Amino acid sequence: MSEHQRGGEEGGAHTPVGTRRTFFGWVTKVAAGLIGLGLVIPLAGYVISPALKRRARPWVDVGSLADVPPGDPKQLDHVTTIQDGYLKSQSQKAVWAVKQPDGQVRVFSPMCTHLGCGYRWDGEERQFKCPCHGSVFDIEGKVVAGPAPRPLDLLPSKIENGRLLVVFKEFKPGTREVVEL
Amino acid sequence: MRIYQWLDSRLNLKPVERTLLDEPIPGGASWIYVFGSATLFLFLLQAVTGMFLAVYYAPTPDHAYDSIQFIEEQVTFGAFVRGLHHWGASAMVVAIGLHMLQAFLYGAYKPPREMMWMVGVVLFLIVMAFAFTGYLLPWDQTAYWATQIGLNMVGTVPVVGEFLMRVMRGGEVLGALTLSRFFAVHVLFLPALLIGLIAAHLFILRRVGPAGPWTDERASLGSETFYPRQVYMDAVVMLVVFAVISSLALLVPFPLTDKADPSDTSFVPVPEWYFLFYYELLKYVHGPLEPLATWVLPMLVVLGMLFWPFIDRNPVRNPIKRPAALAAGAVFLVVVFSLLGISLKNLYAVPRVDPAIAKGRALFYQFGCVGCHRIHGEGGAIGPDLSFVGDKRPDREWHLKHFKDPQSVSPGSFMPKFPLTDPQLNELTSYMLSLKKTP
Repeated sequence: MSEHQRGGEEGGAHTPVGTRRTFFGWVTKVAAGLIGLGLVIPLAGYVISPALKRRARPWVDVGSLADVPPGDPKQLDHVTTIQDGYLKSQSQKAVWAVKQPDGQVRVFSPMCTHLGCGYRWDGEERQFKCPCHGSVFDIEGKVVAGPAPRPLDLLPSKIENGRLLVVFKEFKPGTREVVEL
Repeated sequence: MRIYQWLDSRLNLKPVERTLLDEPIPGGASWIYVFGSATLFLFLLQAVTGMFLAVYYAPTPDHAYDSIQFIEEQVTFGAFVRGLHHWGASAMVVAIGLHMLQAFLYGAYKPPREMMWMVGVVLFLIVMAFAFTGYLLPWDQTAYWATQIGLNMVGTVPVVGEFLMRVMRGGEVLGALTLSRFFAVHVLFLPALLIGLIAAHLFILRRVGPAGPWTDERASLGSETFYPRQVYMDAVVMLVVFAVISSLALLVPFPLTDKADPSDTSFVPVPEWYFLFYYELLKYVHGPLEPLATWVLPMLVVLGMLFWPFIDRNPVRNPIKRPAALAAGAVFLVVVFSLLGISLKNLYAVPRVDPAIAKGRALFYQFGCVGCHRIHGEGGAIGPDLSFVGDKRPDREWHLKHFKDPQSVSPGSFMPKFPLTDPQLNELTSYMLSLKKTP
């Protein structure tokens, strides 16, 4: 019992002193630290990871190319399945498709670049008109009148086997530059 | 250290520190005393992992299964956290078993420590209640049918059984109300109860002190302070326990079975291993004797454990001088472990399915084979029916060649070539060969 010392305070209980005491304290701290690290890292990843995941934006078939008449904009339904954690839901959006003389198609986001209202096509005046604050765009999407700060936003689109595929995106309204949300 | 001094000068922490760390351990620190701390550590681990599982879990029948699948497959470290909780539960049962065994062998339940033992038995029962309620939460087939059986057993208790079963189930059938009340009990009621009783268990420990060695000579060596040597032993054991559970969580996946289907009565659930001995016992008792096994015997065992300090009135703690008590304990352990052994043997005697077959089956659906080929009524009718293809074409080489290039062995076939890797080729072939009239 040479390395033990009689501690006076607890009714004469032994307690290791010196390097032995330091060693036990040190091992205890290392064990606690390892367990702590083994938990903190996975648990942090566990909580953070879904928060940082970007929503996948898939190509969606919005209809046949033949459905879009040359020269006239056509509103097409864009239906996607949205994965919200473990829930699945359908999201329905409408996009504007304009067939170009060369057969390609330009697809506009359905939201006015001013404050995000839905605009419509005026077939007689051949202009897109936003009912909220009177922004007007031509068939190319360029601003003709009103407070809209930039042309209509283009959505990525492609044609495969005669079908029109579109990726839906949202953009920040009210800015000169195009900022994807 | 500075912060500690700052706090100490205001809160007078030194006496608290002394009370916590200088607790005298009769006969000195020992590796045999670590099981209580290990159990407490495992409880804390269960509490922490449980809280994190609750971040994504949804306790309703239409979302519970999907939310756990989401944790398993989509959340970073999700399978690890769920694995820790799953294996932690098993480890907790082991730790409690060893802790009780140590207390029993050392006669630590004898006066003045009867209350500590009794609170301990209640803690053990609460942990079993945790296991039972937690098992239902994933809402898969195993969960659903195991709980169904557990509830039916409660129903066999005379007079009050039917009523009790309905209250536990929350209604006529096992469903949404059952799941939400099991969830509430598992994550709110039981933890509150358990924390309270752990506090009582530790309070009694500090009031009466640890039992220490059973012989007076060893005890007369004098006592040693709890810190640093016993704390060091406890910490090392906790680290080892954590390493084992983490390894199991990482290496042994614990997949869900199919989503709970109340209409599929063909599913045979197997309980967790710590309930297996009891599951085996129930197989031997039928007819009018059944209630004996479903509730009379368990109740007697629980009451016997609870009041053990008053049944065994021999004041001697040395196990050598307590043959009757030790024999009783040994008989109990032999019965439990024999039943567990028989049950495990029976379970593993069931012909195991080659994992390649299950993988091949998954590939069959993944590559859309089912679109053209029919197996037992399911699938398209464009290609040949494959229900018994293992009888028709038992040659492995033929299948391997055929999947690589269908036209090479079956001229004129319009089956497309699929981009299969070599392991996939083998798995799909194993699945084809398993499709026989007699397995």
